Amino acid sequence: MPLSTALELHPTLIPLVSRFGIRLGLGEKSVAAVCAEHHMEPGFLLTLMNTYLFEEYFPEQKLKSFHVSQLVDYLDKTNAYYLHQQLPNIERHLGSLIASGGGENKNLALIGRFFARFKESLTASIEYDTREWFPYCLALSRGEAQPTLAVTPPPLQTDNEDEDPAVSLLRDLRSIMVRHLGGEYNDNLAYAVIFALDSIEHDIRQHNRIRNRILTPVIHALCHA
Amino acid sequence: MPRIAVILPDLLQGAGMTAILERYFSPAEVACFTRVQEVTAEGGNGGYDLYFTDSDTFASHVDFFLPRRNQSVVLVGGEREPELRGGETPRVIATGCGLENLLEKIERVLTPMRPADEGSTSDELSAREVQVLQLVVSGAINKEIAERLNISLNTVLTHRKNITAKLGIKTISGLTLYALMHGYIPADEMPL
Repeated sequence: MPLSTALELHPTLIPLVSRFGIRLGLGEKSVAAVCAEHHMEPGFLLTLMNTYLFEEYFPEQKLKSFHVSQLVDYLDKTNAYYLHQQLPNIERHLGSLIASGGGENKNLALIGRFFARFKESLTASIEYDTREWFPYCLALSRGEAQPTLAVTPPPLQTDNEDEDPAVSLLRDLRSIMVRHLGGEYNDNLAYAVIFALDSIEHDIRQHNRIRNRILTPVIHALCHA
Repeated sequence: MPRIAVILPDLLQGAGMTAILERYFSPAEVACFTRVQEVTAEGGNGGYDLYFTDSDTFASHVDFFLPRRNQSVVLVGGEREPELRGGETPRVIATGCGLENLLEKIERVLTPMRPADEGSTSDELSAREVQVLQLVVSGAINKEIAERLNISLNTVLTHRKNITAKLGIKTISGLTLYALMHGYIPADEMPL
């Protein structure tokens, strides 16, 4: 099946494949052909696409069969997508929403402050990934790092993605807007912010499944090998 | 939110029933099992509000289902429910009646389990809950809140649970934002 057919059926996959440099205008190219152009393993991309699309589907054994470097590469690209695409996108919508209140609606400014704090905390955790955690995982997978180094793998988690602080904050922000937003504002801009929040929340949940249930256990196993 | 266990030995039937419940009756917490033993293995006597199963599973595990017959729903094939005789029998739903009818039957089972819609005032915080909220967002721990308001720790926990349920907000940051938006705390004193 051409990759374009899958993307037409499920446009939410477009931001996923774009993380690997796959852009629109795909024509009738197959998944294998597109992957070959981007030096990717088709099985890896298809597994990610299915996992991303279907929340109830999580092929744990299959994902664990991929190399640590592939998993880290995906998580790293996803982090970059948050930093350079999704967060600025929400900020743009939020900035327009705040402006739509004409300075009269203080609630909008408070929501803007709340999001700024969320962005700071997400950015800090991404910086930790980039600086410490991902290099440690890669070094360990190459047999270079010692488990006694300063980096401590996060504890093994059960399937409880609700505990993730970023997801909880995003849910709260969405809930506050839907349930408690008052005063003057532009409806369409408010919807745009809510849709964008929903999108990044879904993305982070998928990201966390691979991080917490695949990468972390694999690294723990390598530490104790 | 009702907690529902789907206990069907056929994986596809179980997945289908689970998908229907999740898709059409959200919010509901649905867990799918192929065997009764998986439910009991979870501990807590399988604390679900409802159990959807088939007649064979029900019949072969009467010890499990009879004490829960008021919470059990037996799914049978065909268009009509068989007439059951005897005293306390479980509810039966015939699944071969088309999606619309099936959804209506499930809705009738689930409706009594949903909290009644008491109007917009039900989401408003009481004066005591506002006091608890103000202390929570100021950084006070439960013990401090109990001491300051002269109430028990359990009462604090109950107030906190009610606040989260009424507002739909779980995090301290989210509660702080809510408190600021409603003027329960001054904007210049509280960072988000």
